[in-house]
Amino acid sequence: MSEWRFRPARDHGLTLAERVQSYDRERGLGSLITSGAWRLLCRLYLRVVHRLSITGMEHLPPPPFVMVANHSSHLDALTLASSLPWSSGRKAFALAAGDTFFTSTPASVFAAYAVNALPVWRKKTKPQDLDDMRRRLTDDGGVLILFPEGTRTRDGTMARFRPGVGSLVAGRPIPVVPCWIEGAFAAWPATAKFPRPGPLRLIIGEPLLFTETAQDRAGMVAIAEACEAAVRGLAPKR
Amino acid sequence: MSTAFAHPVTIGIVAATVGVVALAAAIIALLSVTGRVSPALRRELWLRTGSWAVLLPLMLGPVLIGRVTTIIAVTILGLLCLREYDRATGLFRDVVVAATVALGIVAVNWASLDQWYGFFMALMPLTVVLLAVVTIPLDSPDGYIQRIGLGIVAYMLFGASLAHLGYMSNDPNYRPIVLMLLTTVAINDVFAFTFGKLIGGPKLLPATSPNKTISGAVGALCGTSILVALIASQIFGGTPVGHPVLLLLLGAIVSIGGQCGDLMLSSIKRDLGIKDMGVVIPGHGGVLDRFNSLLLVAPATFHYLRYLDAIAPA
Repeated sequence: MSEWRFRPARDHGLTLAERVQSYDRERGLGSLITSGAWRLLCRLYLRVVHRLSITGMEHLPPPPFVMVANHSSHLDALTLASSLPWSSGRKAFALAAGDTFFTSTPASVFAAYAVNALPVWRKKTKPQDLDDMRRRLTDDGGVLILFPEGTRTRDGTMARFRPGVGSLVAGRPIPVVPCWIEGAFAAWPATAKFPRPGPLRLIIGEPLLFTETAQDRAGMVAIAEACEAAVRGLAPKR
Repeated sequence: MSTAFAHPVTIGIVAATVGVVALAAAIIALLSVTGRVSPALRRELWLRTGSWAVLLPLMLGPVLIGRVTTIIAVTILGLLCLREYDRATGLFRDVVVAATVALGIVAVNWASLDQWYGFFMALMPLTVVLLAVVTIPLDSPDGYIQRIGLGIVAYMLFGASLAHLGYMSNDPNYRPIVLMLLTTVAINDVFAFTFGKLIGGPKLLPATSPNKTISGAVGALCGTSILVALIASQIFGGTPVGHPVLLLLLGAIVSIGGQCGDLMLSSIKRDLGIKDMGVVIPGHGGVLDRFNSLLLVAPATFHYLRYLDAIAPA
């Protein structure tokens, strides 16, 4: 017979306000149902209003993995999360700017329960936070949705990838799935308050593995460059 | 309004609870003005009293309004208890088992809403069987007994047991009975605390719950039995159930059931190594920390009263 394997939730004893902002957050039934319904709603919206088409679904590995993409719109994270099949979609989590999405408890509850977002506080990320994130990937078998540019593009061109993504996957068997989102900048740029109807396309590339890459600065930079090149390579030729 | 307060015991219980909270608030206010308590204790006292002021309308309100609201409130309470238990034990990571228990809780309360006693009872073995087979298709026997065990305990306590409280409301004269159970179970805790402090003496079960004493347990048993017998004599007086021995026995069931529920939750918490099941109710802890005593009292009193034909059969 196996050892007793049940443990209390990592976030046990936190109040709701603390819990929704905590990196120790673990999802229960309520959160799964809420986010499942939210993803379904997003999928419906994207299909109907933005006529979203997806290619490369067959490239998605089983969790855990990291999804990286170009970032030009609030539609990006919704597009990636809602395109995942249920088995990996329910394990998806995204990073969201704390000062935009976690400004109040109701906003944080929405971000946590519907989107399963974790707050990032600009310039305040500690090494411990990266460890927690890595644990969410490996121990929980999660799917991290990440935009390595760090912020939405203001002019439609893709910026350089920051090396942070490398520290999560260097020397570990966690694949990185490069994705290209086309049309999101036209539909909902950072300067607009609301989205406009317009076609969206999601292209999912083949996963990259960095099991042999060194866990140092040079390795991280190399991974960021490789991911960036892979994402750029998916962009439709103009 | 006239039906809600049709029975004098209903009026008495509601008036008494409002009075007790108001009195507590007045005493704390007096102590605060005279400066006889430390700010930390004062805050703690306000927090507890404030929580009761929110909790009591949420507990008594649905019972006063009617049968349907009572059963809905019991369903919500059961699901909240399950949520806390899931997170404290770690069962929430087994989504299929957690969802099956939640489904069972909803189903058993629906049966009580439908007054379908056969299905209400049948759900006990049916849910256990469903829990036993539902994870088999996942083909992961590792930890099978553990997750099934946790799931069955959860359904039995927060589904099958707690739902008896809702089923009682199918009796036309349920209000005074249910209100009496809700309030005397809480007073039972107060008796245990007070007698324990006043008399002291040897501990009851120091490894399980270090603060409980034998004198507190016996004091609560006597106090609650008499209190319940007194209130119940106003409800069942003049009927065959009105015999003093039967009424004292009802009180003993409330007291023993309440204390056992308390010790059961203490055992769970000790085993898990946690202090409180949650943080939902300021000054109290989690929902389960507050309602643990009801879990065993609900089925025990229900079947006792049914056996005596004191509540209407289905």
